[in-house]
Amino acid sequence: MTRIHPLSARPGPGADVLGGKGHGLLTLRRLGLPVPPGFVITTGACRAFLREGHLPDGLRAELAAAVSDLEAVTGRRLGGPGRPLAVSVRSGGGVSMPGMMNTVLNVGLTTGATAALAEETGDERFALDSRRRLLSGFASAAPGSPVPDDAMRQLEAAVEAVFSSWDTPRARTYRELHGIAHDLGTAVVVQAMVYGNRDERSGSGVAFGRDPNTGENVPFGEVLFGRQGEEVVSGGSATRPLAELARREPAVWTGLLEALDRIEGHYRDACHVEFTFEAGRLWLLQVRPGGLAGRAAVRVAVDLAEQGLIGRREALLRILPHHLRHARTPRIEASGAIDLLTRGLGACPGVAAGRVATTADRAARMAAAGPVILVRPQTSPLDMHGLAAAAGVLTASGGPGSHAAVVARSMGRPAVVGAADLTVEAAAARVRAGGRTLPEGALITIDGTGGEVVAGTPRVVTAPADPHLHRLLEWADEISGGGPGRDDAGRLTAARAVLLRN
Amino acid sequence: MIEAPRPTDDDLPVLHTLRCIGFAALERVAEAAGLPAAEAESALIDLAVAGLVTHEPGDFGGWSLTGAGRAADAERIGAQLDTAGVRAAVTRSYEDFLVLNPELLDLCTAWQMRSADGFATPNDHTDPAYDARVMDRFTDFHRRAEVVCADLSAALPRFGRYRVRLTRALTRATSGAPQYLADEMESYHTVWFQLHEDLLVTLGIPRF
Repeated sequence: MTRIHPLSARPGPGADVLGGKGHGLLTLRRLGLPVPPGFVITTGACRAFLREGHLPDGLRAELAAAVSDLEAVTGRRLGGPGRPLAVSVRSGGGVSMPGMMNTVLNVGLTTGATAALAEETGDERFALDSRRRLLSGFASAAPGSPVPDDAMRQLEAAVEAVFSSWDTPRARTYRELHGIAHDLGTAVVVQAMVYGNRDERSGSGVAFGRDPNTGENVPFGEVLFGRQGEEVVSGGSATRPLAELARREPAVWTGLLEALDRIEGHYRDACHVEFTFEAGRLWLLQVRPGGLAGRAAVRVAVDLAEQGLIGRREALLRILPHHLRHARTPRIEASGAIDLLTRGLGACPGVAAGRVATTADRAARMAAAGPVILVRPQTSPLDMHGLAAAAGVLTASGGPGSHAAVVARSMGRPAVVGAADLTVEAAAARVRAGGRTLPEGALITIDGTGGEVVAGTPRVVTAPADPHLHRLLEWADEISGGGPGRDDAGRLTAARAVLLRN
Repeated sequence: MIEAPRPTDDDLPVLHTLRCIGFAALERVAEAAGLPAAEAESALIDLAVAGLVTHEPGDFGGWSLTGAGRAADAERIGAQLDTAGVRAAVTRSYEDFLVLNPELLDLCTAWQMRSADGFATPNDHTDPAYDARVMDRFTDFHRRAEVVCADLSAALPRFGRYRVRLTRALTRATSGAPQYLADEMESYHTVWFQLHEDLLVTLGIPRF
């Protein structure tokens, strides 16, 4: 029985077998885009592992064969000697469960292979940094277990750790809450490592084909030079705007724009990718279509229809009535009178005013007495309750692809991230910005579109009529035969009812 | 020379309880510490005389620790840990707690927010089946949390108070007062957060 599929350009099984990540990578290969070579272990193998409590019979042999193929393609040996092969081992189920599952990078860097990598690259610091990331990856994926110093055993242990992460109590709870079946299992994507931490011409990032805040057809995202990808998503490091690549790594930038264009043509939707570049060479590690909300979703649907990539009917069907609730986004009035404290990156549009709270817990407590703005150095999943309680979120580090931004967007909370001038002193219950100090409880206003952070409560204007929304609703009226007498959601709902009936 | 009354270890439970709940009126301090109000107040007054706690009057007033109070608490609660010889046991329990912690936050979030068409929106509590599902998961979670609480109280009896308070919050929530999951001063979430703070202070781990 075949439980391992190579990441090749040939059509493979669906996302239920290969997981969403594996399936997307096959699509990227078919589009002729640069994907590190590797293979996918199926969800079926995970189910067998969970059922039997150990790797299913024959999987070790299949794994060994897949590794041999990968060694042949890369001209490297897992664990050395000679040029060592190291691999990433990532989870990827058929249904996304963000943050629930494990990933282990740099697998295969035994002490011997680490020395070999140092010798090959002439960069011991890089080799030891990679080894350290392997050890910390194992420590969080399989706490308390020793890390084998045999490369193949390391790989097996990493696969087992990813499989096991499907069944942690937390993952079970997540599935119960979101109505996801417990018996699906996760696939595991194993790929030759590409090192974002290799040198100053390396890095990782997240790139959107269109601005996810506004839907505007301009590339958007963030990049972290000299680091591996986990740190972009975690929001723990100061990222740079994606466009800095144009100056620092023009070939990577051009390659990325071409890739996003080709990907969008294939999915006929706005997409984003996770990428790494090593010594100036671009690699794509994941693709996700869609996922925009509110006004951005409206603009993308209308633009795609006008570009002829989708029909008007499809544009109407892609917009759910509740998107429209977010579509008329207010802004801080940009007059000279505003008392600007600092500026960050708009991560979720909308204006929120409230009292500064410097911890999630205090935000949750203070919210009982009126709106609060959660102001943090960065946010983690541990701040979720504070994010839920807050009217808006402001962070000093992190970027639009960070966990904080994703959560804020999914909740429709205005968010400004990466306000580099901001210092949060939670122990002293105060923040510093723009050379000023504000105590906890001070009133501020944030604008999640432009990234402004303003003292007090400035005037807020509801955005002028949105031409894209206007266009979409005209199309809706043509379909339903209705007129603009109803509210926006009503006009869209009427058109969708006609379209869904046909 | 008259010396100011020195705080004794009798005051430590009240000092440390207040350290972990932050800022509170007398009733909440007494409730959290599991003491009669008069006894807690007497301890608070002694602690105030010693400069370790302070009281802010008014409708929104309450008790909180001074800087000296935080330092004294850290020192005395650390000494208590080492005198009992249970640092290793409490450290293990803290690691178990950290495994549970993100799941509890998931549950609180699921109670407050829910996913509709892939986008999270506030839970308006109009779907009893969904709310019942979240409540069931809280009950399941609590069974695992009780194991950690039991280990902790075996190491230091004062931790037993958290089990009592968590169980009470859950019982209230499942008997018609669901605000005791995540939206009350004595909610499951609040008590859990105080346990987190307690473990950090006890082991001398900075929060940030």
